[in-house]
Amino acid sequence: MSQTPVNPPAQERRKLVIKPLSKGDKWFFRSTSIAAHFAFVLVALILGFLLWKSWPVIQGQGFDFVFGSTWDADSDPMVLQLGPMLWGSLLIAIVGIIIATPMALSMAYLIVFMLPNRLARIATTLVDLLAALPSVVLGLWGLLVFTPVASHWAEVLNSYLGWIPIFGVADAENGFMRSPFIAGWIVAVMIVPIITSVTREIFSQLDRDLINGALALGGSRLSTFRRVIMPTSSGGVIGGVLLGLGRAIGETVAIFYVLNLSFDINWGALLEPQGGAVASWILARFGEANGAEKDGLMAAGLVLFVVTLIINYIANVIVNRAQPWRKN
Amino acid sequence: MSFSERPTVQPWRKANLKRRFEILLAVAIPLPLTMLFALLSNFDVNLALIAVFLPLQLIAAGLVGVRAYGKRGIGDAALVVITIFFSTFVLVLLLSVLFSVIVEGGRAISWQFFSQNNVYVSPTTSLEYGGVGHAILGTLMVVGLTTLAAVPLGIAMAVYLTQSQSKTRNLVRTFTQALSGLPSVVSGLFILTIIEATQMGRSGFTGALALFPLMLPTVARVAEEALRLVPVDLRYAALALGAPNYRAFFQVILPAAKSGLMTALLLGLARVVGETAPLILTMNPSSATSLNPFDGGMTTLPIYIYNYLASSYQTSQARAWGAALVLLMLVGFLFGLARILSKSKTTKKKASK
Amino acid sequence: MNSLSTASTLSAEDISVWFGERQVLEKVNLTFPANQVTALIGPSGCGKSTFIRTLNRMHELIPGAGLAGAVYLDGEDIYNESTDAVTVRIKVGMVFQKPNPFPTMTIKDNILSGLRLSGRKIENAEELVETSLRRASIWNEVKDRLNDQAISLSGGQQQRLCIARSLAMDPKVLLMDEPCSALDPGSTRRIEETIQELSETMTIVIVTHNMQQAQRVSDQTAFFLADDNTPGGVVEFGSTEQVFNGPIDQRTNDYVNGHFG
Repeated sequence: MSQTPVNPPAQERRKLVIKPLSKGDKWFFRSTSIAAHFAFVLVALILGFLLWKSWPVIQGQGFDFVFGSTWDADSDPMVLQLGPMLWGSLLIAIVGIIIATPMALSMAYLIVFMLPNRLARIATTLVDLLAALPSVVLGLWGLLVFTPVASHWAEVLNSYLGWIPIFGVADAENGFMRSPFIAGWIVAVMIVPIITSVTREIFSQLDRDLINGALALGGSRLSTFRRVIMPTSSGGVIGGVLLGLGRAIGETVAIFYVLNLSFDINWGALLEPQGGAVASWILARFGEANGAEKDGLMAAGLVLFVVTLIINYIANVIVNRAQPWRKN
Repeated sequence: MSFSERPTVQPWRKANLKRRFEILLAVAIPLPLTMLFALLSNFDVNLALIAVFLPLQLIAAGLVGVRAYGKRGIGDAALVVITIFFSTFVLVLLLSVLFSVIVEGGRAISWQFFSQNNVYVSPTTSLEYGGVGHAILGTLMVVGLTTLAAVPLGIAMAVYLTQSQSKTRNLVRTFTQALSGLPSVVSGLFILTIIEATQMGRSGFTGALALFPLMLPTVARVAEEALRLVPVDLRYAALALGAPNYRAFFQVILPAAKSGLMTALLLGLARVVGETAPLILTMNPSSATSLNPFDGGMTTLPIYIYNYLASSYQTSQARAWGAALVLLMLVGFLFGLARILSKSKTTKKKASK
Repeated sequence: MNSLSTASTLSAEDISVWFGERQVLEKVNLTFPANQVTALIGPSGCGKSTFIRTLNRMHELIPGAGLAGAVYLDGEDIYNESTDAVTVRIKVGMVFQKPNPFPTMTIKDNILSGLRLSGRKIENAEELVETSLRRASIWNEVKDRLNDQAISLSGGQQQRLCIARSLAMDPKVLLMDEPCSALDPGSTRRIEETIQELSETMTIVIVTHNMQQAQRVSDQTAFFLADDNTPGGVVEFGSTEQVFNGPIDQRTNDYVNGHFG
């Protein structure tokens, strides 16, 4: 018990009976508590079931499951290695983030610091609307509308900047379609709203006196942005970007339509029509896979889940720390 | 969030007439100039936007900036131009998606497209036959089943996070956030393992199960924010009148948070109504209308789109667009409803002040 | 209502309060005799609001709250382990600093909310609503609009509605935590009149920053004070007459005469 410095013979603190005594309250708290702890149960169940199914594959393939680059279900013994798909997911997510971050930051800056209230509200609604687009619709648009446009962009990029390895292609006749570049754009459209909404919230909570003060002292917009806004909100923005990364890595259907899945690992030739994505690979193989290969896909799902869990955890820690006003 | 206290950092606010004219010129000249250039030189339009228009616009804005503020005007002009340029890009992408879905989908849509199913439809059947009626019903049933479980549970989680004083709250919140990052295909795989372990048949119900882990965290998160918006004073007032916690919740807090909780429901619906991958893994598609979500095949709108997109026939793609428009209308409807509800909530709050 | 229950005597013995490891009150001993009005005065942050919340077990709702000592309601310790906080709060009503009528309910439902919330049967609803509103002297203003939403009332009316809401529970003690701090002078005066009338049937404890108000409404006064970085406590306690006109402690004298605070 705590010592009171003022009055040496310390008083014994009483145990406060804050547990509700009535039957109704016991029932109320017990049931909501069970519901809340269902979050643990669900995560544990997902991990447990996937691990149970994929254990033989993980045991059989070892570390090569993650690092190797051959997927051959017909050979004996079966070789299931996910390397190119994992790297491909990461590559596409990185491309998506590089494209999405400037757009999202601009949008957030525009909404919070430049637009008059009414327009700002409309812009916020539009960004939310973008977030609500189902990924299968984005896949449809990506395949039939966006791919022709983006492959043209890719061609232009290649013809001017082709000497840089990431913009080079083995054969320009391949048509610049179904590449990580295009998949990256589709993913970018999905994560722009995520980064925007986190950034917007952080921008709008910035100390206005600080910003007004900086401007009043003759600081320009740019220097205010560089010296005041970015330093105080960069943590939260990084958190938002990581949330977007988590979403990008888990994306399935939209990438499935616009990317040529290939086990010839593509280290970074963004315009080459071959790439990988774990989630899309699961979807692509699922229909044909037999029992053992299916377990391999389960293992791929497990790897995907663990990776996104880690990324999301870090992202949420950063975002929560950057938004102390959200704590109760 | 409050828009009212934004600082007025618009340097052109106090600009005089001459300056306004300069700004007008800086906005009006670069784009037509670029277009003219692209037309005359056969230069690629996309490239011209980046390589000609953007530098031109930057120079134009920079000139105005320098005339108004001296050197520091350059940086400001660049920031403004780049911000607007990228934001416009976002807008163009969004409008492109909406525009193509509405135009392309509009061609496929008719009354029979809403009401009929797809039983006698082959990839080449003309658009006058068949529709997505069965997929609309399927979507409603599968998503409805998920909602029945996810909404009460999600709200109960939110209640726990806001009403109890337990020490595990932060841990629960962390796990809920972790769950909200669950890739949808993994959710499908998870239910698939359960299907295989229990030997149950695939049906609308198994699809609903696969959507459940995706909907739950969304509902819990939004509901938590809704409950947090109810002033703690009200809870104290109820408890001080001798109310047990559960009565304080059901009679005072729940009615006060009603519209916020509706928003949680709608955003949860919007989250799962367009999900595809988990349903492909856990349901048997069917082109017939099924009213029994517990047995046999069933199709939802996203599955319908997915299946028709795989075909390269023109009419099949048109069907996919049509279904996408129907899906988007559904999402837009939910979304608009959520907006209206959350708006009425804020006006109510103002009235009480 | 014909059978008003009698007022109770409330007494606090050696009440000390902690938030986490920080002690904010040190051994407060006060007795609130039946049918008396007691004013708690003192500068901001001296713990008087915290203290009043220990008297009906609202204190424990704050995370990290700790307590020592005992509060006796008619001789029975309300912090007894087998006593449900709910039963204490039914007997000891509370009015808060900010008016907090239930915004989703009508005026009438607000009055009846206490009975509904504590799960009791309501007999003669009409009569109970009228009596309660009359006792809070707001009946004439609202009798024609009982089915209006409570938030349509003005701030002063809302506060009197909150008092009426507590009265409908027929409490033996009424705690008031700066009930007039958010109100205009007119509303304040009416609430002061109400307090005088209510003291005929219940014991009242009121926290106030307003010296004149304390003098006008109370029979006895306790002066709370917290020196820098030490827990707050009672410096002087006695009849209102004595505390204001012949304080024993120099610090009380300074405070009631406006020399600091």
